[in-house]
Amino acid sequence: MADRLSADFVVVGSGIIGSLAARKLALAGASVIILEAGPRVTLAELVARFRNSPRRSDWMSPYPSVPWAPHPIYQPEPNNHIVQAGAYPYAAEYIRQVGGTSWHWAAHAWRNLPNDFRIKSLYGVGVDWPFGYDDLEPFYQEAEEIMGVSGADNTGSPRQKPFPMEPVAEPYAMRRLRERLAPEYEVVSNTTARNSRPYDGRPACCGNNSCQPICPINAQYHGGLSADAAEAAGARLIANANVYKLEHDEKGNITAALYYDPDRASHRVTGKTFVVAANGIESPRLLLLSTSDKFPNGLANSSDMVGRNLMDHPSTSLTFDADEDVWLGRGPQSPSSINVMRDGPFRSEHAPYRLDFTNISRVDGATRALIAAGVYGSELGKRLRYSAAREMNVKNVLEVLPDPERRITLSSEKDEMGIPKPEARYSIDDYTRKGHERSQQDFQRIANLMGGSNLRFSKEGEFANNQHICGTLSMGNDPRTSVCDQWGRAHDHENLFLAGTAVLPTSSTCNSTENGLAVALRSVAHVLEQQGASTSATGISKS
Amino acid sequence: MEKFVDLAGSPNPTRRLLLFGLASAYTASLIPWALAQEVTESDQSAFQTLSSILTGWRSLDAAQGKRLYAALVADDPGFPAAAKALLAMIEQRKTDPMQLQEVLDEEKSPLALVPWRIVTAWYMGIVGDGSKARCLAFETALNAEVVADVLKPPTYAYGAYGSWTSKPR
Repeated sequence: MADRLSADFVVVGSGIIGSLAARKLALAGASVIILEAGPRVTLAELVARFRNSPRRSDWMSPYPSVPWAPHPIYQPEPNNHIVQAGAYPYAAEYIRQVGGTSWHWAAHAWRNLPNDFRIKSLYGVGVDWPFGYDDLEPFYQEAEEIMGVSGADNTGSPRQKPFPMEPVAEPYAMRRLRERLAPEYEVVSNTTARNSRPYDGRPACCGNNSCQPICPINAQYHGGLSADAAEAAGARLIANANVYKLEHDEKGNITAALYYDPDRASHRVTGKTFVVAANGIESPRLLLLSTSDKFPNGLANSSDMVGRNLMDHPSTSLTFDADEDVWLGRGPQSPSSINVMRDGPFRSEHAPYRLDFTNISRVDGATRALIAAGVYGSELGKRLRYSAAREMNVKNVLEVLPDPERRITLSSEKDEMGIPKPEARYSIDDYTRKGHERSQQDFQRIANLMGGSNLRFSKEGEFANNQHICGTLSMGNDPRTSVCDQWGRAHDHENLFLAGTAVLPTSSTCNSTENGLAVALRSVAHVLEQQGASTSATGISKS
Repeated sequence: MEKFVDLAGSPNPTRRLLLFGLASAYTASLIPWALAQEVTESDQSAFQTLSSILTGWRSLDAAQGKRLYAALVADDPGFPAAAKALLAMIEQRKTDPMQLQEVLDEEKSPLALVPWRIVTAWYMGIVGDGSKARCLAFETALNAEVVADVLKPPTYAYGAYGSWTSKPR
């Protein structure tokens, strides 16, 4: 064989978490191969695709699905990559591409609140994590220093060291919200992986207001940068390598990853230790696909927990017209939140939530709406200016509890590569619904305080999805109810580690990436410690 | 790939036969004159006049107009005649643009989609529906121009760090 593919560590998935896990392993001196199903795409290509897209409000439009590594697409036509089999459709989006889905995130990099780790003990719902906030705190810091996180201290998550950067300068619209909602609501700056000053060779934000789907200047951190960093640290990244099976030996240790190239030729990569970090749907899919005589239900699945406890953050929202010009669209897209409903005794009764204010320009959506309403002539320009200046939007970000019945399985349908598609069973339960109901009074009050008119609540019964896929490879101390231990090691396989948001046991009220990354960095530190390697370096130059 | 007619690049753009693409379902079902049409200067001129009425912009960019027109015709060979018919109707009846769509809808007019297509082309820079939709203008689309004194189109830098903190004028 011309090219023998073998390494100390084989990482499946080159997203922000897989790549930064790989980078940390490589910096410690290990040989690492990263296998990424999707293609390499450059920042310039993505910006051009966005500008040339006829669907500028569809964040997936610059990220088309490719036949050799399909991912879910809903517009203009759904490709049905995820087969829906549940009470409520789970319209998840993710990107199979070098760098993964955080190419088009809003860069929210929240830490959990300390109580998020103990909701079973405190509130009698969900599960407790196998470790606490203090155990994860140094790895939150490590993640924040790598990504370059800016934030303020008034968000309820205590810290040992300061944020790498001060909060990004507050857009005028958010200032008005903060001023007019005080003292009833404290509007706080979001904790984001967005530069408020030049950091690690990347510039400060210039307000391009396209954080989703693409920051054109890399002022916002993303997984493409993680993949670059992993390669710079010595990891070998193979793109267009769609892993469809993991093999094991008679002891149950993983021995190889099999992947298809775009021509469906199969390749085999061997390694000593395997890390599966292919996102909350593709990771369980891979484990379920990897059946054998010894493991007829797939790998890491003696508990039958692989793919279960699927969680995300559903949102409902209110759009209204303020009684003053605020002009959303100046500065970054997602700058401010209200955090008061993220924790409290009410969590025994209903979902907690963060209230999130958008600063996304209203121009695209308002134009469509006005034209659809038959507004033509000079009135169109006038009304467009009014909407662009006055429209505001607040949404909730609701916690979903782990429930084994919400799950990812394999479908009888196959994708373009002949691989069974993922199938989703999802639902919105009363706990989440009650949280939505509670938030309506906040929505109304916020609109009132802003002098709001023309209130447009999102359609009752419809929940937008936030693409924070988690829970499907939950970690825990009990091998009967979890897939991996607190270090991400599969209960069933000594040399198989799971990384990514899938391992998070609960969803809390914050975007899952920072949690998933901090947990993965903690796992890697543990692996390296066990192997006697150095674990301290973050490799970030302080500027 | 969609085909675009490059009238601007033609040495003799006055009379050029357009035979691009298949008639869309809309064309076949609603426009009886859905046959290949000849594009003339007068067609183009009628389109620009109609566009001004529908968009409320007196001086629309002619080069952009040619591109949009060509794309609209490529999607629907009956478009030149439909645009002329709509212009004639508006001029004859002195229809207010704000009332136009309602009138067309009530009359179940075969022209009902024409203003929507034209205004979408100018304001969004988009021609075509669904998987056939394509973008012909972004930063020069009218919805960017209308707010250009306050906002930049997404992906374009607003300004130096922090410039967005001030009250918009």
